[in-house]
Amino acid sequence: MGKIIGEPKKAFITGNEAVAWACLVSGAEIMFGYPITPQNEVMHYWTRLAPKYDRRFLQTEDELSAGFTTCGAVQSGVKAFTATAGPGNVLMQEPFGMAEAMRLPLVAMIQQRGGPSSGTVIYSQQEVTLTTFGGNGEGHRIVYSTSGHQEIYDYLIKAFNVAWKYRFPVFVLGDGYQAKMREPLEMYDPEDHGIELVKPYPLIGLGGKIGEEREPSHLCNIYSMEEELYDVVMKMAAEYEAITPQLMEWEEEFCEDADILIVSHGVVARAAYDAVKALRSQGIKAAYFRPISLRPFPAQQLRDAIAKSGAKKMLVAESAYGQFERLLKQEIYGETIKIEHLFMPGVGIIDYDVIEKVKSIL
Amino acid sequence: MKSRSFNKGFIYIIHRGGVGFTAKHTARVIEAFIGEYASGKSELAINRALELKSQGRRVTLVDLDTVEPFYTLRPLKSKLESMGIQMIGFSQADSFGLGETGAMLDPRARWALMNEGDILLDIGYGVHGAQALNLVEGVDQTPELKVMAVINQSRPMTSTTRDIQDYLLSLGRVDGIISNTHLGDETTIEIIEQGNHIIMEAAAALDIPVYYVAIDKKLQTEGLENRFPVPVKYINRFMPNAIW
Repeated sequence: MGKIIGEPKKAFITGNEAVAWACLVSGAEIMFGYPITPQNEVMHYWTRLAPKYDRRFLQTEDELSAGFTTCGAVQSGVKAFTATAGPGNVLMQEPFGMAEAMRLPLVAMIQQRGGPSSGTVIYSQQEVTLTTFGGNGEGHRIVYSTSGHQEIYDYLIKAFNVAWKYRFPVFVLGDGYQAKMREPLEMYDPEDHGIELVKPYPLIGLGGKIGEEREPSHLCNIYSMEEELYDVVMKMAAEYEAITPQLMEWEEEFCEDADILIVSHGVVARAAYDAVKALRSQGIKAAYFRPISLRPFPAQQLRDAIAKSGAKKMLVAESAYGQFERLLKQEIYGETIKIEHLFMPGVGIIDYDVIEKVKSIL
Repeated sequence: MKSRSFNKGFIYIIHRGGVGFTAKHTARVIEAFIGEYASGKSELAINRALELKSQGRRVTLVDLDTVEPFYTLRPLKSKLESMGIQMIGFSQADSFGLGETGAMLDPRARWALMNEGDILLDIGYGVHGAQALNLVEGVDQTPELKVMAVINQSRPMTSTTRDIQDYLLSLGRVDGIISNTHLGDETTIEIIEQGNHIIMEAAAALDIPVYYVAIDKKLQTEGLENRFPVPVKYINRFMPNAIW
């Protein structure tokens, strides 16, 4: 693949456009999609870019089809992706489940929106549960929660590589704010940042005689025997757990010594970080911890942060009513730190909200 | 030519021709702001409205964004009304609960040109450039209309001379360009200068005038105007408060 960006450059861009460009430089050959706010401009921009770079797009009849066609495309050996939100993400859980079952290197951008609803288009962080554990399986998928355009770009490049390296479906979790927000982005070709793109490969139609020249390619989505399903899930769990140390990503600051540990993810982490710095400047020992990968969750790293900081309280801040907190609690089961929360479903959280909450509980 | 009296007793002479900077006692100003997604259409329409208002003129700002209820004039409607601008378009409260179906026009927008005074049309990106004017009655009978294309060279689809030319040609009617290169909080004068240079090259090739270069007031310095071959207009940024 030739260079697309050339000399790395700063652009003024929306998050959805960052998605389209990131998928382009990652070597995605085709997007399958069905319109839904707030991800529409991913499709708009992909369809503007695709003809220029000999890529393709198919608007399917619904999200079920968009998800399944993505599953089909990756089996044929091309990098493919989809993008959706809200009720579209609900519908896509069936194809995402298939991708889990068949270990398909599917990449999906999720621009979270509010719920419960099929028509609410506003910002929220209410698709954490759905995106991490939404299928009728065990959540053997990889989910990165980004906080801005640069991360959308960087983590989508990573998503394609991780998907094709490990063959688990990978999700990049944005939200309505990140989708629409405008901010500078450094655009680059991955190779110029020392990132080698993992080459796609076909999973079906392989050459060679089965049993003699190669192993059979089992792409099974149906298990009729209980024992067989047991074996498959146990093997998948073991393989997933084996790679989690390489997949976990997080950010932390001021965790060496703190009275309160503020934990958040996605765009809210920007407010939490500003709040922590402001609190520190006011003499309040606050610390910042942010899981970037929600699946797998950096549980040990969070436990370590609790231990080394000596914090007696944790504040979980999210634009949802406890989806992230539930995930966090199950991951750090047994810790005795007191957990407080700032739940603002559907509402953006700014540094002021976090600072006020901290002052009210310390 | 004919004269028409407006409020405050000024006499405005209606004539046909260039708008650019409008001093007092000039014609009715009718401008449509079109351009790429996130190019700055609404921002420049707001700033233009306030500029005209500060000259004692009667100004109506029309929300013709049919695309989505994000980053439109809606969240700013009451603020702009309190600053003396007449607004045609829904407020957030008007469209509350409509969700995705909330991307619709105030019916009064169709008849916007029938209003007295200056009319500024803020047109969403999803409709193809000047074609959105088909939604408005009386365009053909409005010789004062100027269709202004807003270009930010830092936008990736309008970053080269060739891209900008192709884009302008795709828009249909364009009477003039507003050069609006910026990188948000990371904007420097050098970025604006470089962007303006590329925009002017594209504009010259198509023989379209560049009306002015828009620069955030925060970057205003003594003599900055001399660095640009076109007029400089300093703007305040309102749209960062309009995300929803």
